[in-house]
Amino acid sequence: MKIVVLGAGQVGATIVEALHEDHEVTVIDLDAARLQAMSYRYDVRAVKGNGATRRVLQDAGIDRAALMIACTSRDEINLVAAMLAKNLSDAQTIVRTSNPEYLEAWRERQIEVDFMVSSELETAHAVSGTIGVPAAKQTDVFADGQVQIVEFDVPPGGSTPGASTDAYDEVIGLPLKEARVPADSKVACIIRADRMLVPRGDGSILPGDRIIVIGSPDAAREWGRIMARGDRLLDDVVVFGAGATGLAIARVLLDQRIRVRLVESNEDRAREVAEELPEARVYCATGIDVDFLERERIGQAHAAVFAMREDSKNLYAAMLAKVHGIGFTIGIVHEPVSVGVFERAGIDVAVNPRSVTAEEIVRFAHDPRLRQLAMLEGDRFEILDLTVRETSKLVRTPFKSLPMTGSLIGAIVRDGAAIFPHGEDQLEPGDRAIIFTESRRVAEVEKAL
Amino acid sequence: MRRSVNVEVGASLNLVGALLKYLSLAFLFPIPLAIGYSERWWPYAAAGAVTLLAGWGLEKATHGKERVGIREGFLVVALTWLLGSVAIALSYILSGEDQLSRPVDALFEAMSGMTTTGSSVVSDVSTLDRSLSMWRQFTQWFGGMGIIVLALAVLPRLRVGGRQLMESEAPGPELEALTASIRDTARRLWLLYVALTGLLILILASFGWTGVDARMGLFNATAYAFSAMPTGGFGIDARSVEPYAPASQWVLALFMTIAGANFALLYRAFVRRKPVALVRDEEFRLYIGVLVLASAVLAAILWDAGISAGEEAIRQGAFQTVSIMTTTGFASTDFNTWVIAAPAAAMLIVALMFPGGSAGSTAGSIKIVRHLVIGRVLRRELDQAMHPEYVAPVRVNRIAIDERTVRAVIAFVLLYVGIFVVGAVLLLLDAHRVDLELSPFDALAASATTLGNVGPAFGVAGPMGSFEPFSDVSIGIMTGLMWIGRLEIVPVVALLTRAYWRA
Repeated sequence: MKIVVLGAGQVGATIVEALHEDHEVTVIDLDAARLQAMSYRYDVRAVKGNGATRRVLQDAGIDRAALMIACTSRDEINLVAAMLAKNLSDAQTIVRTSNPEYLEAWRERQIEVDFMVSSELETAHAVSGTIGVPAAKQTDVFADGQVQIVEFDVPPGGSTPGASTDAYDEVIGLPLKEARVPADSKVACIIRADRMLVPRGDGSILPGDRIIVIGSPDAAREWGRIMARGDRLLDDVVVFGAGATGLAIARVLLDQRIRVRLVESNEDRAREVAEELPEARVYCATGIDVDFLERERIGQAHAAVFAMREDSKNLYAAMLAKVHGIGFTIGIVHEPVSVGVFERAGIDVAVNPRSVTAEEIVRFAHDPRLRQLAMLEGDRFEILDLTVRETSKLVRTPFKSLPMTGSLIGAIVRDGAAIFPHGEDQLEPGDRAIIFTESRRVAEVEKAL
Repeated sequence: MRRSVNVEVGASLNLVGALLKYLSLAFLFPIPLAIGYSERWWPYAAAGAVTLLAGWGLEKATHGKERVGIREGFLVVALTWLLGSVAIALSYILSGEDQLSRPVDALFEAMSGMTTTGSSVVSDVSTLDRSLSMWRQFTQWFGGMGIIVLALAVLPRLRVGGRQLMESEAPGPELEALTASIRDTARRLWLLYVALTGLLILILASFGWTGVDARMGLFNATAYAFSAMPTGGFGIDARSVEPYAPASQWVLALFMTIAGANFALLYRAFVRRKPVALVRDEEFRLYIGVLVLASAVLAAILWDAGISAGEEAIRQGAFQTVSIMTTTGFASTDFNTWVIAAPAAAMLIVALMFPGGSAGSTAGSIKIVRHLVIGRVLRRELDQAMHPEYVAPVRVNRIAIDERTVRAVIAFVLLYVGIFVVGAVLLLLDAHRVDLELSPFDALAASATTLGNVGPAFGVAGPMGSFEPFSDVSIGIMTGLMWIGRLEIVPVVALLTRAYWRA
């Protein structure tokens, strides 16, 4: 496969390293020295120039490429390059962005890009995962939020100290018909070892799977609890540094009902963040102000995340927090070499946003169908939102006697309220049915209803 | 050395002239009534003509100066309200009505009407000519929604700088635009106001026709609607709304409650059919909450003191709370007697002169939203006492308010309380000077009621009494308080500062 990578920085380098052996890679960058270093190290072609221009993209052979990865640090360059690539070729496009608004617009299909990755959000998910709560990746919302389609990575079993794992053990590893699946939800799909399985009553969810669940918002939260392996104890986290990364981390943690305190040294930025996140408590202070740490009893927090701009500051502040008694520290590092330094120094986890981003992009590059939205949109599965016709043969048939076709009615919306159907329920004319189905059966399903 | 004045007085007067010119149209309203009732119609025509000429003259004299900026806005608004009241006072003087023949009294009555206060120097309202009585009600009605807002809605010329003019006049810290054009917004608000008034007239009149309330004819229904919707408080009966049937009182209470709510919010809830907007609005929730709580407390006090019981206690409690808090000032009973019989109830009445209605309503006083902001500032202050590094914006309706606005709100409330106290002290001193029997409680009530545009006070100026016994000086002070209170202090008080006039 021919791949064009735009940007030879840290993210680009990590991607190239992962892909250059199996694929034909061309790298575009403005910086000749970086390009040279890259081409000496890996067997790649280098093109110098602005990747957001047609000439340079054509030089790089975009017309024959199957994939274009735009991963410079500048969002708009990435977006323009992806737009051009869409018009100049059939290549799939991946765009790196740091702006959550772009990500949102993409999710709502208003930006035409095959996959979008946000360093900040990937970092936040990584942090959230290390704290012991796998972040639910919400993929879609239907019927004014009454129906959610949520995706989880199932964590390995075994408990975190002090947590009860009952809820987890009653679902994961058991045949689905015996598992205590939260009410008002259904498992729509299990992805195991890069293969998609349609869940059956005798199938089961195993650790390491990625699952897609359709259910009510409450059920989605309940699933989150299961994935957290029982009642979590970690619910008081301090985030130092409220830049874009710190903000994304705080937001993801807050979404999981974790209490978050944000510490930011810049007064204006602190105010800005306080306006944006009403649920978080924001302090204007530095992470090395001992009086502040004492007064706010920072030492009693369950975990602290250090997301300030400089690695050295993060390291020092993390050490200081440890001295004050914080048990679990997570450092955000910007230089690759710092990961080792942080870990040697006793920081529990070091997360490098650039490498997390690169990993996510590489995962998509390996098999585009396996990614959340990309997969749902892709050529195998689709979510349909259909209104049941009066003349449908399936009207008033109990669900348990509906034919098994590899499609699943996840929810029906009747009179504005969502119903998560059970065996005895029946379809009524006029119901809105939310259906998870294989793409090749779409026509069949549409006809049947 | 002459210090240069940096306010375009000419341009301001030019605009005031134009506004007065159009205001003279209002004088056409009582003329057909007067002719119909075979009463004197020429005083209205004469006052209207003088207003028209004065406006036209001002406009001509300052011709060519038309640029009105932020500074001029204050002057325009303050002068328009003052001169508008003078024009109405003129019609009172010319009317030949003995109780309003003295200029000081006439100006008080005119200002009280325009600012929707409802305090009166007339001892017996029922003896007024019918056309004069209705004219008095009508002045409240067009003052209620704001004459600048009316002018914006109708006149083409004010479009430039209109938003700022309207903000100086419209109650509340922030004007909520319904549409992109301020003119269109003004028009919609006025339409809603007219529609609600019409509905109220219809309901009250139908009580008269069906015999639910024998006293309530079309004339009375119109008169009370013209007073309730702008939260004014003038009546046409000697004993306010006491003689009317409970059903009429309940309906009036309901419409006063509506009039005390934010009109932009009402527009969204009822015209755009999004009633959820009401529940989501924090100011509206607090407004209703305070009304319900105060009504219950007042009813309980009255019941406990044996003043009234059953439906009557609940009705008196609710009606009096709504009437005072929305700064209307109707009385369903003579609450002056409560000072002795139930002092807590009297105290509560005075306290209710301070919350006010919602921003963007026709009500006066401090306004609920300012209390909301101050409450949140206090909570934050307490939090920051323990946690000095804590950063949090003050939010209203989930939207962060910038610190400048917060400071402006605090400054407003301090000014308001300061002026209230000074006003009360001056009234007390003046009463002592002329040997008028005025207790400190009465003085506080009189100051609060005029500054808050409420209407009745206690003592001689109680709900069934009148402000007539006050000396001319006191009447002048209270006229000023009404003026300052209606324009929410800043446009008037800023004119007294040196910073306003200098570069």
